[in-house]
Amino acid sequence: MPMKLERNETDKELSVRRILHTKNYSLTVDKTLCTGCEICQAICPKEAIEIKMLPKVPGEKRKHATIDVDGEKCHFCGICSSLCPFGALKVRVNSEHVFPVVKTESFPELIREINVNSTKCDIKCVDCEKACPLELIKVSVQTPDGKTVKNVDSIRDKKKLRVVVDVKKEFCPCCRLCELKCPEDAIRIKKFFQGIIHIRQEKCPEDCQDCLDVCPIPGALFLADDGKVHVNEIHCVYCGACRVVCPEEGALELQRTRIWHTPVRSGAWNKALEKLTSTKDLTKELQKKGTTRIRDSVKKRFDLGDD
Amino acid sequence: MSEEPRIGVFVCHCGLNIAGTIDVEALTEYARTLPDVVVAIRNRYTCADPGQEEIRKAIKEHNLNRVVVAACSPRMHEPTFRRTVEEAGLNPYLYEMANIREFASWCHPSVPEEATEKAKDIVKMAVAKVRLFRPLKTMEVPVTNKALLIGGGIAGISTALDLADMGFRVYLVERSESIGGHMAQLDKTFPTLDCSICIEGPKMVDVSRHPNIEIISFADVLSVEGFVGNFKVKIRKNPRYVLGDPCTGGGECREVCPIEFPNEWDMNMGVRKAISVPFDQAVPLVYTINMDYCIECYKCVDICGARQAINFDQKPEEIELEVGTIIVATGFDIYMPYDDKLYGYGEYDNVITALELERLILAAGPTGGKVVRASDGKKPKSVVLIQCVGSRNVDKYEYCSGYCCMHSLKHAVQLKEKYKDDVEVYILYIDMRTHFKGYEEFYRRARELGTNFIRGRAVHILEDPQTKNLTVRAEDMTLGELIELEAELVVLATASIPKSGTDELARILSVTRGADGFFMESHPKLKPIDTAVDGVFLAGACQGLKDIPYSVSQGSGAAARAATVLSQPTWKIEPIIARVNPDKCRNVRVKCAICAKKCPYGAIKAPEGQAAEVTAAMCHGCGTCVAECPSDAITQMHFTDAQILSQVRAALEENPEDKILGFLCNWCSYAGADLAGTSRHEYPTNLRAVRVMCSGRVDRDFIFEALKLGAGMVLVGACHLPFDCHYISGNVAMKARMDALAKMLEKLGLSPERFRVEYVSAAEGVKFAELNREMCEQLKALGKEKIKAENEKLRPMLEKMLSRKKT
Ligand SMILES: Cc1cc2nc3c(=O)[nH]c(=O)nc-3n(C[C@H](O)[C@H](O)[C@H](O)COP(=O)(O)OP(=O)(O)OC[C@H]3O[C@@H](n4cnc5c(N)ncnc54)[C@H](O)[C@@H]3O)c2cc1C
Ligand code: SF4
Ligand code: SF4
Ligand code: SF4
Ligand code: SF4
Repeated sequence: MPMKLERNETDKELSVRRILHTKNYSLTVDKTLCTGCEICQAICPKEAIEIKMLPKVPGEKRKHATIDVDGEKCHFCGICSSLCPFGALKVRVNSEHVFPVVKTESFPELIREINVNSTKCDIKCVDCEKACPLELIKVSVQTPDGKTVKNVDSIRDKKKLRVVVDVKKEFCPCCRLCELKCPEDAIRIKKFFQGIIHIRQEKCPEDCQDCLDVCPIPGALFLADDGKVHVNEIHCVYCGACRVVCPEEGALELQRTRIWHTPVRSGAWNKALEKLTSTKDLTKELQKKGTTRIRDSVKKRFDLGDD
Repeated sequence: MSEEPRIGVFVCHCGLNIAGTIDVEALTEYARTLPDVVVAIRNRYTCADPGQEEIRKAIKEHNLNRVVVAACSPRMHEPTFRRTVEEAGLNPYLYEMANIREFASWCHPSVPEEATEKAKDIVKMAVAKVRLFRPLKTMEVPVTNKALLIGGGIAGISTALDLADMGFRVYLVERSESIGGHMAQLDKTFPTLDCSICIEGPKMVDVSRHPNIEIISFADVLSVEGFVGNFKVKIRKNPRYVLGDPCTGGGECREVCPIEFPNEWDMNMGVRKAISVPFDQAVPLVYTINMDYCIECYKCVDICGARQAINFDQKPEEIELEVGTIIVATGFDIYMPYDDKLYGYGEYDNVITALELERLILAAGPTGGKVVRASDGKKPKSVVLIQCVGSRNVDKYEYCSGYCCMHSLKHAVQLKEKYKDDVEVYILYIDMRTHFKGYEEFYRRARELGTNFIRGRAVHILEDPQTKNLTVRAEDMTLGELIELEAELVVLATASIPKSGTDELARILSVTRGADGFFMESHPKLKPIDTAVDGVFLAGACQGLKDIPYSVSQGSGAAARAATVLSQPTWKIEPIIARVNPDKCRNVRVKCAICAKKCPYGAIKAPEGQAAEVTAAMCHGCGTCVAECPSDAITQMHFTDAQILSQVRAALEENPEDKILGFLCNWCSYAGADLAGTSRHEYPTNLRAVRVMCSGRVDRDFIFEALKLGAGMVLVGACHLPFDCHYISGNVAMKARMDALAKMLEKLGLSPERFRVEYVSAAEGVKFAELNREMCEQLKALGKEKIKAENEKLRPMLEKMLSRKKT
């Protein structure tokens, strides 16, 4: 059978497929998860992804940008999917979910450090579950033999019961809302992006709150008494969805300064890094890891033909 | 001219072939009366030894410096008598042939008197022309004894090895990453079913090891300049991003590379890595990075390590080679029938092409040799092979692709031998073509294995959306009714078509292509390997589809043909070429370069502000440029304006209104006229023929002169359009010129039938005779008076047009 390229789009999902006689590849975007943050577009090495702005409808909330994938350009390397903060993208080979570039250490994975010490949890508390804006947490109470207890009050020997906090890690942008809401200090989360976000309120147009409209994390941005949007950096995940829609040049500045990821030595990653941070920060990142060796080797590779 | 012409005329009886019709005595007598003729002699057989001796003797005795032989066609004996006069110490170009056999005795046997009168005119024309001849010297150019081979399929491999074994240096330029061509893609080869790569692989390795062969792979030919023996070739080596020398071909890089892309070599059914070789036996075994897919992760660089074979900064590199001959062996492509909805190719999962099946059966292929369906990975229990998909179809590809019957028989045999009774095989064919050695026997083998042969055409293919099985509806020609076949797999024997890029290569090499798009040989029977360009030869499927044994033979043939050039220290060039008089060339003053544009061989350079110049060794002597030049700055040696006009004047001296003056090109219409003679097709005697090498040489001035002198009719005879011209496109240039002229003459009052352009091939003797009969009828119908009156009316304009001509 000759090669076929297919494309499918519904309200919830967009997928492109490359079907060969012996193998098939697909990239699927879960549109309900995508925030239009633009990270994938920035790092796709083949410019297969386009983030499109939707026109603003007066009187309505700003909608976040949407994603489009060009099936002819995409070659299913999995770079986008390994770095999407919201886990919206999936590459599958023969229907199996894979990260081709991660397997060969050509590209890192984000490290989502989410530690839950559920022994501290009160069996009646579901605060984290309620706190999660993306509904990724499921708290349950289990008997020693692993059975889920529906009605805690019906069990007499409550000591033996165990609280289980299940977090769907692959979709978690690490906003720390759960951590801060947890009354027992049972959750520890480390953000995978660190950075600086800054809004120059004096530049914001009257009544504009586009950034706030699209921010996936409640509380990361908020409307203050001055009628302008302000930032609460504790919850910001530095995804950048706000920057994409901000209509005013220079009003919103966002810079990622550090990315917490699995270690790799890879030219492709260095390039992506350059796009995700600034050059200054690239140096910082490399130095921070104390791996000047990598920098040199990369430099050497870049310069190979010159001498 | 310094010395006075002293002409000898030798009239041949040709036994009774000439003397039986023509009064040779009267003719000889007449010849003696012509200006500058010092001696006229008759002979029974001039071409026999005594006849030739007579000429040599007469040259010495009478101190002759020009010779006319009135005998048969120059296409027959011109070279013979050139040698004769040369032996007598005369320049071979100081002799002319008067064709009184094919043009007089043989075509007018029932009117001996008229035939004799015509013969007199023919001799008069020859004498008039020979007076103006000048000695010419055959030129010699040095030969670079290296060859360029374009295309490393099995045909090119055969040529390369043969030439290299003869001791010549060969540059093999291959466009893809590896040599091998289509044969390296095949599983087994008919009719013996030996493993294709097992027999080709060792040859590929031989090529890479041969000290006389340099493979330049992953490269394109950019331009070719020069001429036989002296070609300058520009080649671009495309970057592989992997250096050939340090790359050990070990392939660790392939293991670590994360990126897969469809492998064209596997007909995109399987995949390869961004850094890889197309197949494991590739020659040269050097990896290539496909930058369209590479993400520049440098994992390969890391693993390559100290070998440092990978270089991301590699740029395309241009090199220049000097070679004496060029052999083109660029093969073919496969037609992908996406556009023919009938077959559902690209739409139905289980419809594939024959070449895809090759890759499926092959053990090293993407499925490890399992013939499985794309839809469910299962082995098909019934397979329908459909023949002539695109081939033998006047709306698609008119020709027969040659080997599809055989490869489908092969596929049937392979399927039956592999899966026995588990698979039912049908071949839907129009004609089963199994000529050549061992092929008919192979056909029997397929039959005996239980293949079902159905003579008919597929009319419709339907897919069951659930099972993805197919229903092939066909016209069964034997039963005369529609039948339906259930198939789990349909295999299309699609047409083979000219390789992509053939048009560009044709342009670069100035080689013509046939109506089918394949490269055109110089002569379909006698020069099947040569092209119209000296020193450029063809091998394999690029010249017309052929199977492996035939491609190999032609490859060896091309090596032998190339060696005829390469083995010579110098190459001789006929001096009948064009020359520019720089003082007359107007390109010096205004932008002209018409000649350069019209030359079919790109032999003329006319840089702005400079006089045009002809590269002698590239000029084939068609004379198109001479006729096109608006300021008469170009002369064709041996066919000068003065020489041709002298023939015209001689022909029309008496009773011009009764005569048809014909300018006939040497290769088609003159040859057609010869054939009319040899086949004794009789026609009226009115024609007086002027032989030109190409109809492209026929100047408007010749027509003006003929009409001014009162010719009854003028005919220009050429090779058929568009591809028959011996000089590629001389006839095309002629047509453009004459179409405009005809319009103008008609406006001025010339009856249109009095000026004709006709296309007559060398095989159309009957047509030539008929044409003459028809024209003579018209001539009679017009009547002398009307012709005279028209000519009177035209004269002032003709004189004005001709006034600038001095000759
Ligand atoms: C499905 C199928 C099955 C077949 N089975 C058989 C069989 O069993 N037995 C048999 O005898 N025949 C078989 N044939 C026919 C066989 O493939 C051909 O006879 C043979 O390949 C012709 O060889 P070639 O060298 O002329 O052309 P090709 O094999 O096409 O080689 C041409 C080479 O030139 C290169 N090239 C092209 N253009 C350029 C350029 N511009 N510059 C540089 N390089 C260029 C190409 O990359 C290629 O390497 C089969 C054909 C098909 C389609
Ligand atoms: S990276 Fe951002 S834009 Fe891309 S899919 Fe994920 S959420 Fe959407
Ligand atoms: S960090 Fe944020 S997104 Fe992740 S589980 Fe906690 S609340 Fe949910
Ligand atoms: S740099 Fe390119 S070729 Fe090398 S391993 Fe990475 S993707 Fe493959
Ligand atoms: S047009 Fe014909 S005669 Fe003139 S240079 Fe070209 S090949 Fe020679």
